[in-house]
Amino acid sequence: MIGFDFDYYRPSSIEEAVSVYQRLEGQGRHPVYLSGSTEFITFARVGLMCSGAVIDLKGIPECRMLAAGEREMTFGAALTLSELDDSKAFPLLGDTGAGIADRTSRNKITLGGNVCSRLIYKEAVLPLLLTDSDVVVAGSSGIRRVPISRLFDREMRLGRGEFLVQFIVGSSYRSLPYASVKKRKASAIDYPVVTVTALAAPQGVRYAFSGLCAFPFRSEAVERALNERGLPPEERIRLAAGMLPEPILSDVKASADYRELVWRLTLTDVMEALES
Amino acid sequence: METIGQSVPKKESPDKVSGAAMYTADRIEARMLHARYVISPYAHARIAGVDAAEASRMPGVRAIVTGQDSDVLTGEELRDRPVIARDRVRYQGEIVAVVVADTEAQAKGAADAVRVRYEPLPVVHSPAAALRPDAPILHERLGEYVRGAGVIPIPGTNVASVIRIAKGDMEQGWAESEIVVDNRVTFGPSDHAAMETRSAICEIRPDGHIVIESSTQVPFAVKKYIASYFGIDSGFIIVKTPFVGGAYGGKTAIHLEPIAYLASRAVGGRKVKLVNTREEDMVTSPGRIGLDAVVRLGSTRDGRIQAAQILYHFDGGAYNDKSSDVARAAAADCSGPYAIRNLHCECLTVYTNHTFPAAFRGYGHSELTMAMERAIDKLADTLGMDPWDVRMINSIKPGDIAPTRDRLTRSNLGDIQTCLRRLKELSDWESSFSRVDDYKVRATGISCFWKNSSIDSDAGSGAILLFNPDGSVNLETGVVEIGTGTKTVLAQMVAERFGMSVDRVHVKFAVNTLDTPEHWKTVASRGTFMAGRAALKAADDAIRQLKDIAAAVLKVVPEDLAIGGEKVFLRDDPSLSIPVKDICYGYKYPNGHAIGGQIIGRGVYIQRRIEPLNPLTGEGTPGPEWGVGAQAVEIELDLRDCSYRLLRSISVIDAGRVLNLKGALGQVMGASAMGLSYASREAFYYNADGQVLDPTLRDYTLMRYGENPAYTVEFIENPCLEAPFGARALGEHGLIGMPAALASAVSRAAGVRLNVLPLFPETVWRARNGGEGTS
Repeated sequence: MIGFDFDYYRPSSIEEAVSVYQRLEGQGRHPVYLSGSTEFITFARVGLMCSGAVIDLKGIPECRMLAAGEREMTFGAALTLSELDDSKAFPLLGDTGAGIADRTSRNKITLGGNVCSRLIYKEAVLPLLLTDSDVVVAGSSGIRRVPISRLFDREMRLGRGEFLVQFIVGSSYRSLPYASVKKRKASAIDYPVVTVTALAAPQGVRYAFSGLCAFPFRSEAVERALNERGLPPEERIRLAAGMLPEPILSDVKASADYRELVWRLTLTDVMEALES
Repeated sequence: METIGQSVPKKESPDKVSGAAMYTADRIEARMLHARYVISPYAHARIAGVDAAEASRMPGVRAIVTGQDSDVLTGEELRDRPVIARDRVRYQGEIVAVVVADTEAQAKGAADAVRVRYEPLPVVHSPAAALRPDAPILHERLGEYVRGAGVIPIPGTNVASVIRIAKGDMEQGWAESEIVVDNRVTFGPSDHAAMETRSAICEIRPDGHIVIESSTQVPFAVKKYIASYFGIDSGFIIVKTPFVGGAYGGKTAIHLEPIAYLASRAVGGRKVKLVNTREEDMVTSPGRIGLDAVVRLGSTRDGRIQAAQILYHFDGGAYNDKSSDVARAAAADCSGPYAIRNLHCECLTVYTNHTFPAAFRGYGHSELTMAMERAIDKLADTLGMDPWDVRMINSIKPGDIAPTRDRLTRSNLGDIQTCLRRLKELSDWESSFSRVDDYKVRATGISCFWKNSSIDSDAGSGAILLFNPDGSVNLETGVVEIGTGTKTVLAQMVAERFGMSVDRVHVKFAVNTLDTPEHWKTVASRGTFMAGRAALKAADDAIRQLKDIAAAVLKVVPEDLAIGGEKVFLRDDPSLSIPVKDICYGYKYPNGHAIGGQIIGRGVYIQRRIEPLNPLTGEGTPGPEWGVGAQAVEIELDLRDCSYRLLRSISVIDAGRVLNLKGALGQVMGASAMGLSYASREAFYYNADGQVLDPTLRDYTLMRYGENPAYTVEFIENPCLEAPFGARALGEHGLIGMPAALASAVSRAAGVRLNVLPLFPETVWRARNGGEGTS
């Protein structure tokens, strides 16, 4: 049970959400946006999150949009991971999301919620990084559409009172070969030791990782090293290992050296699959 | 009408699958108060002060109970545990204060506002650390604690209990040994992870009756111990237990009930409800015991074990509860199902700053089995012998002597040889190791086990049979329905005795100590044995009464009558009969005169000739029979990262007699899954301060449905003559060999001897690279 009282708001438009936020913020209520609420509920009940008011974004049509046009695919931030997977709209995103938690949880966990998670994994962001997606963000100054590379650096850098509305992905990415491999400590349902996602773009294979460091990332330097086709894969991986944005994580899921081993093996398999 | 052996569906299933079944925490009443705990974040600290001033002024708060409110010490074997921590906490999660409020939210809010000042003390992380000469002493007053017979503490140390088993002549055993191997196994505590977290509700009525509802396996023990702890006449204590949502031994500890009593007492006796959160259930309430064990085996070159020297250091946690008794059960069966003439075992239960343990399915036996079976594998490797052959050569037989010096018979001992032979066929033992491709290897590991269910020598059970006007029967026993389907099996026994349909035997699920006949404890796989004996006796009692009435009506002597199909009939002329429904409430003649009266069948059972172990020699009789079995696990391991898949789990178990086939299969498969889960992935991680890093199901992983191997379970039937229909205990046994068999399989596949649990792929990988995890 949650040991504090809070008010629940469910606006039905972007404008209403923004104005409710501003009003609550002005009243010193420290409002938080949420959609699937799984993280709020589980953290609030153990005292790791507290708020006087929550604003549920699931009632906003734009946040629930799922569209696959000829040029662009649109994924509302309040779509659940199960909906994304079941729709088969974008298998790279669907598969990667389907590796998170269990089905019951994924029926609640949303795309935007996972990307903005307080946990370090945020695996749903990996396909969005691989595809240079755009992010539609709403806030007091209106709605803006920004390339994800400008907004995501270890975590989503949203302004105060801003929330995610949609991700927009080029439709051409839908047909590219991809890999999404999640390695866990032992169980079929767990956080990753490492998750490797890759997309075979015409210019080269793109890679993004979760679990390897304390944040998900896609790195130009790492990608360049992994695409040095003149070198054998193990040499390329060795080069890439030297360019990681941070030393490899060591925690109860895996020690750094074992995590590195799993990363190397997984990457080797992925490279072999996507380069052949 | 044959009912025994049939796969009768559990009678509680419709309630459970429809969500109608009610558990302790489901009870909601308007006037009920709610409690939340303040728990210690420290594994070991002095409590310098508890400031509840602010919390007590918060809305809805009725009382705040702390350790100062009661100086009662609790514990079944050794009374070492305050109801609520006083002056000192000895494990992270220990309850320091309890807030009682009108709503749970108010209680939780106020609990968060209680300020406790702690002065951290050095933490004892393991049995080895606890036994160092300079170790902090966790219980300075160990020598003063009230203790049960057979518990021998060493005051001034962290040793809560010492037990020794001595059989034969060790010097001779070593002299006859041509090969000696040593093997050490180590594993820490883990959780029961029952679906229902533990809960208790207590009310003290104006007339003095204390009514406790609890998710417990031991309502009758709760009554007895609450009476003794607080000096109350036991007749004034009523304990009720509805369905229990999984127990696995974790609900044998009398932990929350005394707290609920103090909480109710603090608010003038009003009803107070306590429900563990999942996190509290994992760290505050007890889990599975840890073990550090060394087994030394001496053998001839042809694999005959001549001597075994066994050393157990059980991680007894912060308080003793049942840990020294789990240790005793392990020591009593320390040889495993092997005939070892010369045997010595020293078994220490050691205090550490871990959560105190409770019973856990297997009661020390998966632990002792892991220690012994890993040593046998090492012996086989050293001798260059087939591990199956070493087990078969040394397997125990009728006529051999148990470590407790009991003489084994065909009745009190299962048939391990037949189990082993069948296991060899089912597991394709001849091809138990194969390469799949460049990286993948398949391997099978095996383990034997035995288990005697050691319970109090005067433990008993009772049963009452009542009739309905339609001639059907109501059965009441004190067994708690913890999910094992025991009450359905008891109904089968009664139906069999009456020759009637089991659908016409109704059972009562809830236990109420006020009017339910006592069943000692729903533990030790003893429900079908003890309550079964009582139920059969009750059936015989009712049948005798029915025959007496029928004899008068039919004008024959009772000895000439038989019962079946809900009729009492003349044995040599069944056409002369009277329906049970016409006599179960007495018989009324056409003229209105009546004879007989309602039939109440009554049956009791008490254990026979059980003798407590002599703690110095281990001599005694721990229980009525040793169940045995042989198990195998097949895995496929990727040598690169040492990840592995569980392919097959095979169990061949001597059931004595299968009472309910699908029920028995379910028990063995469920227990096997539990064993594989704890052996492969369940563990608490502690930081340098002794705090649990994974006290949530987010990080503490359990095996899920999709991860199970294919289960093959077969039973052999070598009856135990003392048991109803010959049935041996079965509820725990499927678990016992699983950790050892898995460790054996992974060791064979990885080519390295693994002696730690759980066997995470990283653990295996590290062992292959020369790190810990090997011997």
